[in-house]
Formats: sequence, structure tokens, C-alpha cells
Amino acid sequence: MSANKILIVDDEQIIVRLLSMSLRSDGYDVVSANNGEEALAVLEKEAPDIVVTDIKMPVMDGLELLKRIKETDPDKEVIIVTGHGDIDSTIVALQHGASDFINKPVRDEALAIALDRAKTKIHIREQLAGYTKNLEQKVAEATEEIRRKSNFQQLLIHSSHDAIVAFDQDWKIVVFNPEAARIFGQTAGDVLNKMTIEELYPADLVARFKDEAQDDTRQKKNTGDIPWKEMTLKVCVGCNFPVRYATSVLHENGEFVGIVNFFQDLTEIKRLEKELVQSERLAAVGQTVSGLAHYVKNILIGLKGGSYVVDVGIKKNNTDKLKTGWQTIKKNIGRVSDLTQDLLTYSKEREPELAPCFPGEIVADVASLVTDTAAAKGIEIVSEVDPGLGEVTADPQTIHRALLNLVNNAMDACLEDEDTSKDFQVRIRAAAAGSDLLLIVEDNGCGMTEETMSRLFDPMFSTKGGKGTGLGLLVTGKLVEEHKGRIETESELGKGTRFKIILPAEPVADADKKPTKEDK
Amino acid sequence: MSKKVLVVDDDPDVRSFVVTVLEENGYTPLVACDGVEGKEMIQADRPDLVILDVLMPRGSGIRLYRHLKTEETLKDLPVIMFTGIALRSFLKSQKALEEFQGEVPKPDIYLEKPVEPEELAKAVQAKIGE
Repeated sequence: MSANKILIVDDEQIIVRLLSMSLRSDGYDVVSANNGEEALAVLEKEAPDIVVTDIKMPVMDGLELLKRIKETDPDKEVIIVTGHGDIDSTIVALQHGASDFINKPVRDEALAIALDRAKTKIHIREQLAGYTKNLEQKVAEATEEIRRKSNFQQLLIHSSHDAIVAFDQDWKIVVFNPEAARIFGQTAGDVLNKMTIEELYPADLVARFKDEAQDDTRQKKNTGDIPWKEMTLKVCVGCNFPVRYATSVLHENGEFVGIVNFFQDLTEIKRLEKELVQSERLAAVGQTVSGLAHYVKNILIGLKGGSYVVDVGIKKNNTDKLKTGWQTIKKNIGRVSDLTQDLLTYSKEREPELAPCFPGEIVADVASLVTDTAAAKGIEIVSEVDPGLGEVTADPQTIHRALLNLVNNAMDACLEDEDTSKDFQVRIRAAAAGSDLLLIVEDNGCGMTEETMSRLFDPMFSTKGGKGTGLGLLVTGKLVEEHKGRIETESELGKGTRFKIILPAEPVADADKKPTKEDK
Repeated sequence: MSKKVLVVDDDPDVRSFVVTVLEENGYTPLVACDGVEGKEMIQADRPDLVILDVLMPRGSGIRLYRHLKTEETLKDLPVIMFTGIALRSFLKSQKALEEFQGEVPKPDIYLEKPVEPEELAKAVQAKIGE
């Protein structure tokens, strides 16, 4: 304990000497003064911890001394020595903040108790000061730590490659990082604490997130995490982002406090995926150059043969020969042009050109194109169009080429069949199924083995020897895929085959039909 | 009377070409569009020579060839294989069949399409004369 130096102030020398001796023997360091004024000087010089002062003294009395001490150091312990029954002085001393009182004549025990009390007070005060100082420092350190962490988190959110958007319990936007600003085309300043979820997200997304938040809170799942999903984010007209997104519903003590959305822009990934598919496709064409060469050789055979027949026709002036030869040449020119078109369609990226069209009309057109050829080969073409199928939004070219290809295949399948007793038939059907268009081509020809079925969409796979390019179904498959549709195949060896194309094709409502028709 | 030559090929372009070559060289052409029809016409019309395609729907040339070479009454009927398939591939398929259907003589004239008209005419003449 450091409170060890005591100042004794009394005008009676004998008392000062006696008290000093007694206190020194108790181990204190003692200084003294004869009156208030002298005491102030000693105080300044020696800085004692405790002052013991008499009241009545010449020059400056004890009460004045007390007052002066307290003015400069309110915490200084001042013990007042009072005469017996001097109530008035005691009250004044109390008012001025005296620490303790002892009666005259000063007894050692009383002084010792008063000093102990004063020392205890000093000690407590020192401790308190220590604690306070410590506490302030700790608060300062903690504040700095929090600021640092908060800055770090801000930086994390700010520099994230995911777009992060968070909403509070009132669905107001409270976090909106730069990637979010890029995807949504809004600056954080315009959005933060100003916009709500409805103003930022398309309506369907708002509904989805609100439902998710509600479900999560209601079921008290509080797992908070809704796994990654993919979607196309329509930010504005014409700006669509393929994104992967996840949601966390935030709870505090079981109460909903907001949600966080994370969006990952998949534009680049989708582009790379497309490029990969494209290069695989080109590689496939490259790998099977020999198959193609075979097909081209067949065309050449036709052209050479045809021109020989034409030569003979000219030489002999035989119109029949001229006609036959010319027919052959024309047909093979057609094959070259079909092959070129197939190759281009297959190797080039193509977006379906959606337009209002009547699939029924396309079915009729395809049927009329093949009916004569089919009849010559003993095959009947039957077309059926569901009366409920009207105008739809789809790519008419996709429908036409896909159907024509499947019908040609179906006819070939009939010709391949060794059971010539059959009445061969190729049925073309078109029907609506909700917002899908169903196109079915069915034959009762030779059917396919499992092995053939599994290789149908392989590049350059053909069962037609040199007569097929191996591109037909590939092109059909690609056109349908680009139209976001799919192809289903069923086949039974010796019984026939059924190809079913399912294309998304919204029926055209009467209201928006007219303007597009006029456009045409 | 001129000699009868049967052309069995599913491709009308090939048929008209071969028919014209035969006519130009003084033969009487007959045509069949597939193996089944070809087999019937061989029975019915007794041609002096068969020009046979290999890959055809409905009874391929491979099968008809085997039939001709194994049938006692027909095995001396001359056959020219006339096809887009390379000879090597044809012999391979024959070999595969021989394992469980017995051996047949190899075709003595095997023409790979395309051929010049003169080449075809020469092959026919080599087999059955003018």
C-alpha cells in the first residue's frame, strides 16, 4: 500500500512531536507544519497521502486549509482533529469534505483507526482508477477490433464475385455489392435503404423469395439455406442473365430478420458450354469425313451415270434417255444441295426463328411433298392433325425439316422391311399438349435393334450404307434441341418405329394473332 | 437373239445407267429393284448374266449372291458384283458368313462404282461375249 506519507498540522509543537514519534514507530513517513499556510507549502513539496490537521491555528486555520486542499485535490484524505463538543466546526469540516474526525486529546488507537480508514479509501480509489482506465482501454481496443472486422466483412461483400443482395425484415435492401450493381444495372446509392424487393426483382422472383422466407420461418426450420438453383434473370427488357442463385433466410432468436440472395452470373460458363458443344460437333463432322466422302461418291456415281445416259440420248436423239439422264442429274444436284444445307445446319449455331405458324399446314405440306415418291414405293402417307391444334409460336422451318427428315427415314424403314406382304404406312400426326406441340411420325416398317436405337443420334451413323449421310437425325436432333424440345423414340424390330418430337410452342391467342399476320 | 442381262440395284440412277450401257452394247437389259425381286426374275427370265449390287434393302446382294452360288441350277450363272462397297469389305462379310454357312466361290468380277461405261461393257463381254 502506497499511502505512507502523513502530514501533521498543529500549532502545538509538543503534539506534533508526540504524534510523529508514534506514527514513525508504526512505519509511516511523517512531515509536519505549524499552521495552514505552512501546510500548503509542505503539501506541495512533499505530496503526503494523508493530512491530519488541528482546527484552531494561527495564520490559516484547519478549516481554511481543508477548503484549499479540496479545491486543488478533492480526493486528498484530510483527517480533522476537533476539540470536544465543537459541533459547528465539525459540520463545516464535513461540508468541505473532511474524511474523518478524531477528538482531542488524540489517542493513538483512534488515530490508527482513522488512518487505516483513510488508507483503505485511497486504496479503493486507486483500484477503481485502475479499473476505469483499464476498461476504457479495453473498450477502445474492442471498438477498433469491431471496426476492423466490420471493414473486413464490408470488403468481403464488396469484392465478392457473387452478387450479394440482402433485405431486412421489411424487405428493404440493406446490402447491394458491386457485382449486384453490375447484374441489376443499378448503383448501390440508388438502391440501398431506398428500394424494396419489389422494385428490384421481377414479380415471380419476389413471390418465390417471400414464400421461401415464410416457409422457413413458419416451419421453424431455421436452417436458413435454400440450395443453389439455376434460372434466367430478366433484369430488364432484352437483358437476361443466366444465373445460379441461392438464398439464406436470416433469423435472430427465431424471428425473421431478413434474407440474403447470392447470384452467380453464368453468362460466361454458358458461352463456354455452347462453344464446347459446337467444337464437339465440328470435331464429329471432321472425324467422319470418310463417311461423307462415301456419300459424295454416291452422288458422283449418279451424276456420271446420268451424264452418260444424256450423252446416249443426244447421240441417238432418244428423248426418253435424255429425260431419264437429266432426271438423274437433277436429283443428284438436289442431293448435293441437301447435303450442303445439312452440313451448314449441323455445324453452325442457329437460334430458332419463332413465328406464329400453323403446324397443321406444315404437316400437309410435308405429306404432299412425299406422297408421290411414297406411292411409287408402295407406301401410304397418312396425316392426322388434332382439330384442337391451331396457330402456335414456333420455328416453322424446324418443324418442316424435322418432319421431312423423319418421314423420309420412316419410308426407308418400310423399304428395308423384308416382309413385303405388309401394307406399308407412314403416319404423320400433330397435336397440342398444353403449351407443347407434339409431332409424331410412325411407320410399320422394319423397326430397329437396340443397338441401332442407341446410336441414332451419333454423328455419321447410318444404316443406309452410302445412301445416307448420317446427318439426317443429327440435324433433326440439333434443330429440336435448339428449339428447347426433345425427341422420344420407340421401336420394335419387324413392327415399326415411332418418333415423337415434343416442342415448346405456345398457342397464339386470338388477340395477338392479327398484328403478326398483317406483318406477314 | 441378244443376251439377257439382269441388273439388280435399288438405285434407279444406277439402273438407268447400266441399262443404257447394256443397250448401247447390244444386250437386252432386265431390271430388279431389290434382292427378292432379283431372285424371282432369275427364276422366271433366266438371264445370261446378273449385275448385282451389294447393299440393298430387302434381301441384300450378299444374300442373293450366296443363293446364286449355292443353288445347283444357278451356280454357273455368271455374276458381276457392281457396288459402292470396297471389295475388301465385301470379302470380309463373305468370310463371316462362310463360318456357318459354308464356303462359296469368290466373285470373279467385282466392279467398284463409279465405273466408266466402257469398263462395264468390257466386263460384260468378258463374261458372256458380244
